[in-house]
Amino acid sequence: MTVINDRRAAANLGRPRKKMGVYERLEPYIFLLPAFLVFGFFLFYPFVRTIYLSTFLTDKLGNAKVFWKPEVLGLQNYIDLFSSGPFWASVGVTFRFVLIVALGGLLVGLTTSLLTAKKYPGVTFASAAYAMPVAIASAAASMAFRMILHPTNGLLNILFGTYINWTGDPQWALLSVSIVTIWLASGINFIFISAGLRNVPEELYESASMDGANYWQKLFRITLPSISPTLFFQIIINIIGAFQSFSQIRLLTQGGPGDATTVIVYAIYRDAFFNFRFGTAAARSLILFLIVLVITLIQFSFEKRSVNY
Amino acid sequence: MASFIRKKRVIGVFNLLLNLPILLIILTPLIYTLLISIMPPSEIYKNKLIPSSIDLHNYVKALTNPAYSFLAFIRNSFIVSTLVMLGQMFTCSLAAFAFAFLEFKGRKVLFILVLATMMVPGEATIIANYLTVSRWGWLDSYKVLIVPFLTSAMGIFLLRQNYLTFAKELHEAARIDGCSNPRFMLSIVAPLSRPALGALGAYVFLNTWNQYMWPLLVTNSANFRTVQVGISMLYDTDAEALGLMMAGVVIVIVPSLSIFIFMQKQLINGLMAGAVKG
Repeated sequence: MTVINDRRAAANLGRPRKKMGVYERLEPYIFLLPAFLVFGFFLFYPFVRTIYLSTFLTDKLGNAKVFWKPEVLGLQNYIDLFSSGPFWASVGVTFRFVLIVALGGLLVGLTTSLLTAKKYPGVTFASAAYAMPVAIASAAASMAFRMILHPTNGLLNILFGTYINWTGDPQWALLSVSIVTIWLASGINFIFISAGLRNVPEELYESASMDGANYWQKLFRITLPSISPTLFFQIIINIIGAFQSFSQIRLLTQGGPGDATTVIVYAIYRDAFFNFRFGTAAARSLILFLIVLVITLIQFSFEKRSVNY
Repeated sequence: MASFIRKKRVIGVFNLLLNLPILLIILTPLIYTLLISIMPPSEIYKNKLIPSSIDLHNYVKALTNPAYSFLAFIRNSFIVSTLVMLGQMFTCSLAAFAFAFLEFKGRKVLFILVLATMMVPGEATIIANYLTVSRWGWLDSYKVLIVPFLTSAMGIFLLRQNYLTFAKELHEAARIDGCSNPRFMLSIVAPLSRPALGALGAYVFLNTWNQYMWPLLVTNSANFRTVQVGISMLYDTDAEALGLMMAGVVIVIVPSLSIFIFMQKQLINGLMAGAVKG
């Protein structure tokens, strides 16, 4: 079929058939070339290079330098990491942070979506405002929150009449960066959960109303069960996003006080650019990749199941 | 009838009142930033919340004082974001076209490979990428901010899904009439896929404008610094200048907000395609 088309096309253009054939066969690859060049140099190569680097000790320029003892098969960086206290502390911090952000983001998204589910004057403005954080850079938002959380002249302390160092006190620092992250994530949570709410069939509510169900009964018996796949998907997005957080940590706490807010990406950054331990940074990067991979696979398997169901 | 309308209005006002506290919380970072940026400095340190008069000297300082070179940061970000946006539109539509319309060996494998890149968080390859570009001597240049982002799996995926909605016969008919693939793309596909291209463009421009970690790592001099790194450095240069810092935040948020307000629909379409990857 295509051969016939090609011949006709070639005849129409009056070009030699053979040349057309070679170009025809190469054309798809030519179309793919620009994209794959970029992927090759900046995604596939660094991915392989990260695995490679993670098995070496490196010099200050990131060149693989020292072969580790052969009996550990280049896993020395991992052994060092897994046997170090600060590593597990940072894992603990990361998981606490991810949990707060995933659930907090979901709660804010659910609340704002429910509040804008009906039509009333002003609802368009409210919806736009709730979606707005998706457009704001994490760096810019972090600087705004730096002012809000400022120990002496910040809004929060002025309103509460307190003198708390929100980002410098180990008791508050993680919660502070979590709240900034929840604010940043609230827009995408709102957008997805609102879309989920719009897909709940109206008849379900109508028949429930006829049976005399009140708002809360409808919420817990109809709305939440109907949008549970959306909520699950959104939790996954929140978890993956939280694992990738960097700007707010770097701009608000620098991982401190102590290691109280050293989440995984900040630890990678510090290993590589303060301690010049690129091997360890690469090992951590690979751990980050594996975590995100596992979470994505969980989501895929769940999606398959919920489709069958 | 009248009472029905009144009841509806009461419910509307009630709904709006329920929204107010949460609206206030969500909008506080923006409103407060704006208020501090126009507040006379003495009032900031008296912990006032509402400025008694509008003082724009922070904006004048941020934009004109060469010590902050804020205009240069804006120019850099604008150049980089525009070129990344155009580049992605180009590379992604070519690749998406091949995946949607052309038959070739390895199509399935290559497409899966593209989708697989979505599972690799950028932060996991950022160290290796940094080492590559520094070895190439690319640090502190426009190309280091642009070239690594000239394609994306999300863009290829978004456009391919869009192309698949076109009738295959359209392509076949064009081929029979002797229309080459590049011409078919330019004269038929591009106009038809304008909404999807718009979504991709808005999303990519905004994401590039909002980038922080990569520009922080690969630029050292003010000549190539982008806005997000620039505002965080306003504070480092002058820790006491809270008002100046907030003016900087307002200046870099205005373009993001404008894209959001004027291209909300495209942006949300792009975001939804992008978030599917996670």
